[in-house]
Amino acid sequence: MTLVAEGAAPERMQRREMSERAFAWLLISPALLFILVIVVWPLAETIRLSFTDATLGGENFVGVANYAALFADPKFWQTVGRTFYWMALAVSLKLIVGLIGASLLNAAIPGKALFRVLVMPPWVIPVAIGVIGWKWMYNGYFGLISGLLQEFGLVQDRVALLATKTSAFYSAIVTDVWVGTPMVTLFFLAAMQGVSKDLYEAAWVDGASRWYRFRRITIPQIMPVIVSMALLSAIWTFNSFEIIWILTEGGPRGATTTLIIDTYKVAISSQRFGEGAARAVVIVVLLAVFSLFYLWFLNRVNRHYGAK
Amino acid sequence: MATLDLQSITKSFGSAQVLSGIDLAIRDKEFVVFVGPSGCGKSTLLRIIAGLEASTSGRILIDGVDVSAAAPVDRGIAMVFQSYALYPHLSVYENIAFPLRVARLPEPEVKQKVGRAADILQLTEKLPLKPGQLSGGQRQRVAIGRSIVRNPKVFLFDEPLSNLDAALRGEMRVELSALQRDLDATMVYVTHDQIEAMTMAHRIVVLNKGRIEQFGTPMELYHHPATRFVATFIGQPNMNLLPATVVGTGPEGLTVELHGGTRMTLPVDTATARAGDSVEVGIRPESLQLGTGVTMHLRVLERLGGTAIAYGQMADGLKLCAALPGDTTVHEGEDVGLTFAPADAHVFDANGRVMRRRQAPALAA
Repeated sequence: MTLVAEGAAPERMQRREMSERAFAWLLISPALLFILVIVVWPLAETIRLSFTDATLGGENFVGVANYAALFADPKFWQTVGRTFYWMALAVSLKLIVGLIGASLLNAAIPGKALFRVLVMPPWVIPVAIGVIGWKWMYNGYFGLISGLLQEFGLVQDRVALLATKTSAFYSAIVTDVWVGTPMVTLFFLAAMQGVSKDLYEAAWVDGASRWYRFRRITIPQIMPVIVSMALLSAIWTFNSFEIIWILTEGGPRGATTTLIIDTYKVAISSQRFGEGAARAVVIVVLLAVFSLFYLWFLNRVNRHYGAK
Repeated sequence: MATLDLQSITKSFGSAQVLSGIDLAIRDKEFVVFVGPSGCGKSTLLRIIAGLEASTSGRILIDGVDVSAAAPVDRGIAMVFQSYALYPHLSVYENIAFPLRVARLPEPEVKQKVGRAADILQLTEKLPLKPGQLSGGQRQRVAIGRSIVRNPKVFLFDEPLSNLDAALRGEMRVELSALQRDLDATMVYVTHDQIEAMTMAHRIVVLNKGRIEQFGTPMELYHHPATRFVATFIGQPNMNLLPATVVGTGPEGLTVELHGGTRMTLPVDTATARAGDSVEVGIRPESLQLGTGVTMHLRVLERLGGTAIAYGQMADGLKLCAALPGDTTVHEGEDVGLTFAPADAHVFDANGRVMRRRQAPALAA
């Protein structure tokens, strides 16, 4: 009797555990299916394509020929360099402007509720519409910027900012920062509001200046958010497509062609799917390595600053 | 160390008057506790002293110097916050050193001062740790350490023990009292806990609705509460208040009739009393003894060992509490007769002002 009782109970428990596990699988299966169809399968298909010379006409297996050609092409390495420069500059500006903006919005200034709302438009309006607005402003014939520069006598002739290589690149950066900053600002603001007021008051009683409090309290306290935003912002900026495409389509003469634009041009515009897929795979690998490094770094930062 | 004088301090937030006409003279090396219910303005008053909040009017003098317009750091005060306000990303050492770093003291001096504070507060072994690795009591000590290193003229404490558990609170009370003596410091301490006030203070300020109800030593407040509010706020369990009517006055004192018809002559100053006035007779639970006088239906008896606290109500529904000897033989559910010595009674007029007791215990100067 005892033997049966002892044996039966664990068996029942095991059955129940099994059914609980089955239920868990059941619950995540829709999401899993979704991910398999829209993420895993396209990724696998892209990797397969990258080893072919696929065009609209058909495809043949070519081994690593696409990669070999890519790595041998000096223009590809220029694009890689330009992409990282684009990313580093745009992300740094977003973080700096966001930090300054959040500090101002967090300060006790009159009408700050209104300013908090005014920060939102670049983020809220569709990117395409905002960027078309910028394209008009950059225009040499009827653009606001050129007009103002001439009005104030700063330039003699009209300035078409998107027409020369250097000015086009930095104009695209400005627009990208304009689009990307509000979210960074709001995340920083939320983090700043989470810092205990007592910390500032204690520092104030001890005679710490505003700048000292910002440096020694605010920055360390929101550091985990700064690092997280840097990572997210870096990935988005790296992959930023529509801003550049609408402004310049990667031109003039490739001055604003980043990896993602290059990939689109090769794969979609030129319909060289195999070569495009190879570029896409390189992007995935670069971003994966970059993300791993960042996650490791974030973990360190959290351990350093996060101990509450 | 220093004296601290508050002159006619008022504070309003918009139309809400939080503090009105606060006058206080705190002596050198004195430990003064502000006590009162939440919302009485005690924390606001402390923040005004610290300079974290501006008073609407009035002056603050530290060592005779008007600091009303000075920045907190220039007032010579240090403040310990209820939340401790420790910097989570800095080590205990750097937390204590923070004010010294702000003042750009040279490293050897920082090291020496932090070392001394850590020594006093028994934190030496904890210096490399982060606040998150410390217990509540240790965090509190770090916060105190940060205030010590500045050698302030006046220490300000804003409910520093309210985040600690009861046992630790008891320990820290003793430590703080000892620290105050060791540092010979002027300290102002805010709490809502009258036990903290009674046990630590040289003198207590009882605040209610933005006004000072009374400023005096713990024993003055206990034996000579100026108002009904102070009488019920100070002392645990709370003082009983029995409604009564004045029957007459005489050289012996005030003769009153309690509800239920008991007449007593109480030895208090009777200058303002007239026959027929409604008054309240205040009697502390520890002044009640078994006997004949008032009858209480005993509902709950809490045996604490040394004493037994009896809770019940009188025939007219009035609640009553008595602290009886620990070995008392009364039982819950019984009617118990209670009596008290007339000299132990406090009498409050209809406005809550006390009629001064003539035979209260002598008070130390």
